[in-house]
Amino acid sequence: MRLEMGTFPVHDVVFGAATRYDAGRLTVDRDAVLAAVRQDPRIATAELEIARPGESVRIWPVRDVIEPRIKVDGPGVCYPGMCGRDIATVGEGRTHRLAGLGVVEVSSVNWHDAGGDFVETYLDMSGHYGEMYPYSKLLNLCLVVEPDASLNEEVRNYAVHKAALTVVDQLGEAVRSLTPPAREVFELTPVDPALPKVVYIWCVHSPQAMSGSPTAFCTTTYGLTQLTPPWYLHPNEILDGALTGPYRTAFAMSWTVANNPLFLDLYRRHGRDWNFLGVISLRTEWTTQTEKQLMANQTAKLAKQLGAQGAVVTWDAGGNEFIEVVRSIQACERLGIKTVFLTSEDDATDGAPTMLEPLPEADAIVSTSFFKNVTLAVPEAPPVSRVIGLPTKKVLRGSTIGLHAGADGTLPTAGPLPPPWRYDDHYGFGSLSCIE
Amino acid sequence: MISAIYNFALTTGANRVIRGARIEHVCGDPTLSPEKDYAFGMRIVRKALQTLTIAVPGPTLFDPMEAADAS
Repeated sequence: MRLEMGTFPVHDVVFGAATRYDAGRLTVDRDAVLAAVRQDPRIATAELEIARPGESVRIWPVRDVIEPRIKVDGPGVCYPGMCGRDIATVGEGRTHRLAGLGVVEVSSVNWHDAGGDFVETYLDMSGHYGEMYPYSKLLNLCLVVEPDASLNEEVRNYAVHKAALTVVDQLGEAVRSLTPPAREVFELTPVDPALPKVVYIWCVHSPQAMSGSPTAFCTTTYGLTQLTPPWYLHPNEILDGALTGPYRTAFAMSWTVANNPLFLDLYRRHGRDWNFLGVISLRTEWTTQTEKQLMANQTAKLAKQLGAQGAVVTWDAGGNEFIEVVRSIQACERLGIKTVFLTSEDDATDGAPTMLEPLPEADAIVSTSFFKNVTLAVPEAPPVSRVIGLPTKKVLRGSTIGLHAGADGTLPTAGPLPPPWRYDDHYGFGSLSCIE
Repeated sequence: MISAIYNFALTTGANRVIRGARIEHVCGDPTLSPEKDYAFGMRIVRKALQTLTIAVPGPTLFDPMEAADAS
């Protein structure tokens, strides 16, 4: 499976008469793009706004950030399976991407009404809070979209995400027939057999258990979010967006999955430092001990069958999902596969471990900081000049997610505003450092 | 402690651990009829209460579904 990735860097984005790309400048025909979005009768309102790095701008509520990618040659479409898109196996041929640009899905639609999975992320384009995330360095084209309120929750999710993907497709068409300024070929070529064989165990949350629905919206694999046994994915499939879509944490978004630095580094050093075998993607939040252990056993078995000598492990969730993740590490180690675990940590209040089940086999761990903004003592984000999206934000200040004293309240989004309670840097994007 | 992820309860030092159904419904099963759900839940809870009368040397797992433990 060979994939040529053509990169079109975007240095400026403006609204204009026709959607086109020219030497780093992306012009967007706002009316035409919005007309395409509004063709879906489920969409009630839709607007486009631009947010640039360094501006005093806050975007809320942020459901997803998506990098425009379009299939130019080869089977299927980018971001396959989601919202009714083609499910042909991707990863072959040529794909074009607009680098440095994010399509931001701004909508009040919640993931689902159970288990605390509410949309809580907002983005600042400047200031200390913005700097904690990679999105503040992007030019962001924000689709502020609301669906027909009479639709059920899953259809509302489907409608607004489909709308964002429509914008992605419209922008992608602008570079379909152009010659990319930069190209990179991705292929798992045969390598020196002496190189160590390494697999990436990429764990992603499933909303099935908490929502009670096998089709609830979340990060998808070819459109599927349900609890499924581990998938073996070619890394090219992921470059084409076969694993995509947001979860509730700010680092689990389509853009972040597509640009995961750990994944890209594993791939780019294939044949030089190791033999990269590909990705085992494990769905998490199984709800019995038996199921969790079974998934761990099967993940390790699959890694062993692939010939893995080493495994790098990440996850994008919290709580009990740690069990199947850390037990996959344990199962790998017991089969002789060396593991490294990249994770954020819970706070150590009340003497509880910063990792839910600290197993002795998980002895090589890279921490990407604490996952609660309250532990990191992140101050309130300062007021901003412009808000893209909703003018108010409900701030919960309860014992589990509270950041500051006081009661729950609805605050003006323009600020000052406390940061969302979670800061889970799943893939090592963050620029935070510490003094020991 | 009644828990669906009982190994974690055992390793964190709970002395009497009763195997529950699932994380989202530890003492029941909404897919059963109301009568069967009630009986299922009662079986788990009765088992839990019964274990309070049993001396254990340390963290011990009890399975309400084992035939010998049926009550």
